[in-house]
Amino acid sequence: MTVSSIGGQPAAAIQSLVNLRNTLDDLQRQLSTGQKSTTYAGLGLDRGVTVSVNAQLSAMTGFDASADMVNTRIGVASTALSSISDLGAAVKTSMSQGSYSSTVGGIQAAQTAAGQSLDEMFNLLNTQAGDRYMFSGQATNQPAVETYDHIMNGNGAQAGLKQIISERNQADLGANGLGRLNISAPTATSVSVAEDAVSPFGFKLSSVNSTLTNATVTGPTGTPAAMTVDLSGGNPAAGDSMTMQFNLPDGTSENLTLTATNTSPPGANQFTIGADPATTTANLQSALNTSIGKLAATSLTAASATQASNEFFDADANHPPVRVDGPPFDSATATTTGSSADTVIWYTGEAGSGDARATATAMVDPSSTVNYGMRANEQGLRAIVQNTATLAAVTISASNPNAGDLSLALNQRLTAKMNGTPGSQQLSNIQTDLASAQAAVTAAKTRHQQQSATLGDYLQQITGVSNEEVGAEILTLQTRLQASMQVTSMMYQTSLVNYIK
Amino acid sequence: MSMSQALGSAIAGLQANQSALALVSANVANAGTAGYVRKTATQVAVSGSGTGISVRISAIQRELDTYVQKQLQTENSGASYATTRADMYSRLQDVYGSPGSASALETVYNNFTQSLQALSTSPDEPAAQDSVVSTAQLLTQQLNGMSNSIQGLRSDAEMGLSDAVSQANEAMSQIASLNSKLSNSSDNDAATATMEDQRDNYINQLSQLMDINVIPGDHNQVQVYTNSGVQLVGTQASTLAFNSHGTVSATGLWNADPNKSGVGTITLVSPTGNAVDLVQTNAIRSGTIAAYLQMRDQDLPQAQSQLDAIASSMASALSDKTTTGTAVTSGVQSGFDIDISGLSSGNKITVNYTDSLTNTPHTITLVRVDDPATLPLSNGVTANPNDNVYGIDFSGGLSSVYGQIGNAIGSTGMVASNPSGSTLRILNDGPGNVVTVNSVSTTATATTFNGGSSEMPLFTDGTSLYTGAIGAQGAQNVGLAGRISLNAAVIADPSKLVSYQAGTASGDSTRPDFLYQQMTSSSMQFSPSTGVGSAGSPFSGSITTYLRQVISQQGQAASAATSLKQGQDVVLASLQQRFNDSANVNIDQEMANLLSLQNSYAANARVMTTVRDMLNSLMQM
Repeated sequence: MTVSSIGGQPAAAIQSLVNLRNTLDDLQRQLSTGQKSTTYAGLGLDRGVTVSVNAQLSAMTGFDASADMVNTRIGVASTALSSISDLGAAVKTSMSQGSYSSTVGGIQAAQTAAGQSLDEMFNLLNTQAGDRYMFSGQATNQPAVETYDHIMNGNGAQAGLKQIISERNQADLGANGLGRLNISAPTATSVSVAEDAVSPFGFKLSSVNSTLTNATVTGPTGTPAAMTVDLSGGNPAAGDSMTMQFNLPDGTSENLTLTATNTSPPGANQFTIGADPATTTANLQSALNTSIGKLAATSLTAASATQASNEFFDADANHPPVRVDGPPFDSATATTTGSSADTVIWYTGEAGSGDARATATAMVDPSSTVNYGMRANEQGLRAIVQNTATLAAVTISASNPNAGDLSLALNQRLTAKMNGTPGSQQLSNIQTDLASAQAAVTAAKTRHQQQSATLGDYLQQITGVSNEEVGAEILTLQTRLQASMQVTSMMYQTSLVNYIK
Repeated sequence: MSMSQALGSAIAGLQANQSALALVSANVANAGTAGYVRKTATQVAVSGSGTGISVRISAIQRELDTYVQKQLQTENSGASYATTRADMYSRLQDVYGSPGSASALETVYNNFTQSLQALSTSPDEPAAQDSVVSTAQLLTQQLNGMSNSIQGLRSDAEMGLSDAVSQANEAMSQIASLNSKLSNSSDNDAATATMEDQRDNYINQLSQLMDINVIPGDHNQVQVYTNSGVQLVGTQASTLAFNSHGTVSATGLWNADPNKSGVGTITLVSPTGNAVDLVQTNAIRSGTIAAYLQMRDQDLPQAQSQLDAIASSMASALSDKTTTGTAVTSGVQSGFDIDISGLSSGNKITVNYTDSLTNTPHTITLVRVDDPATLPLSNGVTANPNDNVYGIDFSGGLSSVYGQIGNAIGSTGMVASNPSGSTLRILNDGPGNVVTVNSVSTTATATTFNGGSSEMPLFTDGTSLYTGAIGAQGAQNVGLAGRISLNAAVIADPSKLVSYQAGTASGDSTRPDFLYQQMTSSSMQFSPSTGVGSAGSPFSGSITTYLRQVISQQGQAASAATSLKQGQDVVLASLQQRFNDSANVNIDQEMANLLSLQNSYAANARVMTTVRDMLNSLMQM
C-alpha cells in the first residue's frame, strides 16, 4: 500500500508503520493457527515438497488402515484354522481309539462325534470377518461351503455325500457282493476269478502268486482280467498257499492269501484239501467266495467310500463331480459327469485356477502386497473335511458281522489321508502363509510409523511455526511498533504550529 | 515627491505581503489535498516614477522537481501493475486452498486415492465403494469449483479492464480540456498553477492505468503517448473502447478476430477516427490495464490449463486402453495388423518405425478427428516431442480412413491397407529395406464398464465421454476441469468400480488395484503448454507429482508477484518522498514564512506611519 505524505510528514515512516502492523497481524494468525502461511505462496521454496509429503502421509494412512483391516481378517481366519486343526486332530484320535473298539456302539459313537466335528468345521469355513467370507476365494460375498445337512443328505434333487457313497458302494461291490468279480468253475478241477466287465469299479486283479503244488495258476490276463487255478494235476500240499493281489478303487491294494489245509472245516482264508482235486477245487471256490466276499465287505467298502468321498469333494463350480453312471449302479461300467443340478456342490466359493492365497490381496506399502486369500477346497483344508465327512457318512450297521473290520479298514485309510502324503499341502502350510502375511503387515506398519513421524516432522518444519519463535518475534515487533508510533506522534507534535503564540 | 513614493512602495509592499499571506494560507489549507503542489510567490522589484522602487508579485511558482515527477509517473504504472497482479495472484492462491487443509486440491485428491486404496483391500464392501464415489465426486466438484474461481478471476479482470478504460478515458479527456484552457492563459498566475496541478493529477491517474510518456510543449501544453509511441492526448483526446464480455469461460480466450474472441479487446480511437487494437499491438505494457491483460490472457489461462491437464489425465488414465497390433507378413513385406473400429474421436494410433538408412527410431501418431475443419493437426496435440502427428478424418467412414493413413505414412516407405473388416495393416517396404515397422498400437477410450478390462470411463466430460476429441471449437481438454464429473452410471451403481466383466467375483480387486495404480504411480506425459516442462522435454510423471509441480509453480509465481510489488512499493515510496520533499506543503516552513510576512507587514506599516509622522511634522511647521 502506498501512502502519500500527510502534512509534510515522511510517507515512508507511515508506510513502515502499516507494514509493521500487517506483520504483527500475520504473526498473530501464525500463533493461533500454528501454520506458517495460509497459501502455498507463503511457504517458500519447499511448497512443492509439502504436496509430496502430504501425498505420502495420506498414502501411509491408507496403507495402515488396510493393514489394520487385513490384520483383523487374518486374525479371524487364523482362529478358524486352528479350530479346524484341533477338530481334525480330535477326529484322528477318536479314529485310532475306535480301531480298538470292537463294539459297534463304540464305532457309531466315533462316527457321531465326527459328524458333529464336521458340522462345526463347515461353520468355521463359513467364518466371516465383517461381511466377508474368508474361505471363499474371491467370492467373498458367498459362503464357502454348503450346510452340513445338504452336504451329507442332499438337497432335493441334488445328491448328498451319503447317496454318492451308497451309489459307489453298489457299483464297487456289485450285485453279488464280490467286488464285481465272478468266481466260477469252468471245469471240475479249475476255478476262475474274473472281473465282470471293463469298469473302474470293484476289485481289479493285479497279480497272483502261488506255491500250490501241482496247481497251474494262470493270469491275470485278458480284458476284463481273469485268472484261473487249475488243480487237474493233483492236490496241493497242506501249507501251500496262493496270494492274490487286488487293486482297490482308492488306489490302495489288498492281498488275499488262501492256504491249503487238511483241517476241516478250514479256518479263515484256508481251504480244505479234499480227497481228489475236484473236491479241493470245490473247497477252493467256496473259500474264494467267502474270503473275497469278506474283503469286499470291509476293505473294498472302505476304499469305495473313500473314493466316492474324494470324487464328491473334488468338485466345485468349474469341476463337476464324477458319479457312477446309473442306475442300475451295481452293474455300472463307467462314471459320468454330474452337475450342480443333480449333485450338491459342497464348495460354493470362487473356484479359479489361480493361487488361492492371491484371491485376497492388500497393498500395505507402495511396493509390497500381502496375499491372504483362502479357499475351503484347498488340499490342506479339504483333506480334513473330506475324511471327517467320510467317517461320518459311511453306514456301519449293528447287524453287519464285519463292522469291526470295516471300521478298521476305513479308519486306516482315513487316518492316512488326513496325515497327507509328503509334498501335498497341509493345514499348517496355510497357517504359515497367513502368519508370514501378518508379519509382513506388521513390519510395513512399523516402517510407516517411523516414516510418518519423520515426514510429519519435516512437514511441520515447512508449514508449521514454533510458538516460542513467533512469541519472541511478536514481542520484538511490539516494541518496534510502539517505538515507531511514539516517534511518529512526537514528529507530528514538533510542528511549529504548536510553538507560535 | 519621494515621500509619496515611499508611501507608494509601502502600499505595494503591503499588497505583496497580503498576496504572500494568502498563498501561505492556501498552502496550509491544501496541505492535505492530493496532487497539490506547494506554491510560492515570486516577488520582483519594479521601478516606480523617478528614483522610486516598488515591489510586486510577478508569478505564482509551483515548487516541484520535474525530473522526479517524470520518474514518478513511470514508477506509478510499474507499481500499479505489480500491485494489481499481486492482488490477483493472492486471490488465485486462495483457489488452491490453505496448504494441507481439507479444502486444498491435494487433500481432496489424496482422499480419493486413499478411498481407492481401501477399495482395493475390501472390493466387496459397499461402504468402500460408496466412499470412492463420494470422494471422487468431491474431487470433481473441487476441480469444478477451482475452475469456476479461476474463470471468476478472469471475469473480474475483464470488469477491471472495463473500469480502467473508462477511468483512462475520463483522465485523457480532462487532460485535453485542461490543455486547451491552459493554452488561453499565458500568465503564470494562481489559476494557471492550479490547473497545472489538476492536470498533473490526471496524468498521475492515467500513469497508474498504463505506461505513458508525457512530453511538455510550449504554452503549458503537454502531449501524452504510450511508451510504445501511440498518441493518447494531443490537442484533443483519443478515446479507448472496450467491448466487455459479460461472461468469461475457459474456452473464451482473446483472439484478434472479434468473432472468435471470448473476451474484450481495447481499441484506441484517435480524434480523427483511426482505430488501433492496443491488445493486438501489445501497446500497453505496464499499469493496471497491462496487469489485468496479463492475468486475463496469460496467467489465469495457464492456471486453468494446469487444472485441465490434471482433469484430462485423471479421465484418460482410467479410461484409455492400449492395444498392440499383431505381427503379420504379406509376401515379402512384414508389419502389423490392428483393429481400428473401437477408436473414438481424439483416440490415437501409434506407429513406431525405424528408418533403416539412418537407423533412427521414429513415432507417428495418427489421431482420429471427426471434423475435417480441424486438419491439419499440430505436433503439439500430443505431449510427446518426438512424434509426428497426423489427423485422420473419420467422418467419411472407415473406407476413406485407410487411404488417409496411407498418405500420412507414405513418405516413410510404409504401406497401409485394409485386408478385411476394420483391420488396419501397416507393412514395411519389403525388399527396399528403407523402413522397419517396430510396433503399431491403438489407444482407445473404454466406453463400457464390463468389457473385461480394468479400464473404465470413471470420469466424464459433463455427461459425455472424455476422449480427448479435437473439434472445431477447440480441444476437449480445454476447460475440462470445469466440466469433469463422475460418470452417472457409477453413481447409480458403485459396484461398477469392481465388476469389470460379467461374473466378476466380489472380492476381485483387479479393477480397484488398477485405478489406484493409475491415480498414484502410473507415469504420463504432460503438455508443455501448461507451463510445466518444456517442449523439448515435457514433464513426465504421475498425477501427484504433476500436482506438486503445479502447486510449486503457482506458489512461486504468486510469491514472485508479491516480491515485485514490495520492491515497487519501496521504489515508489522513496520517489514519492523525494517528490514530496519539494512539492509538499511543509507546515513548519509555512509558519516560518507567516512569521516573516507578519514582520514584513509590520515593517511596511511602520514605514507608512513614519511617512505620516513626517508629513504631519511638515504640516505643523
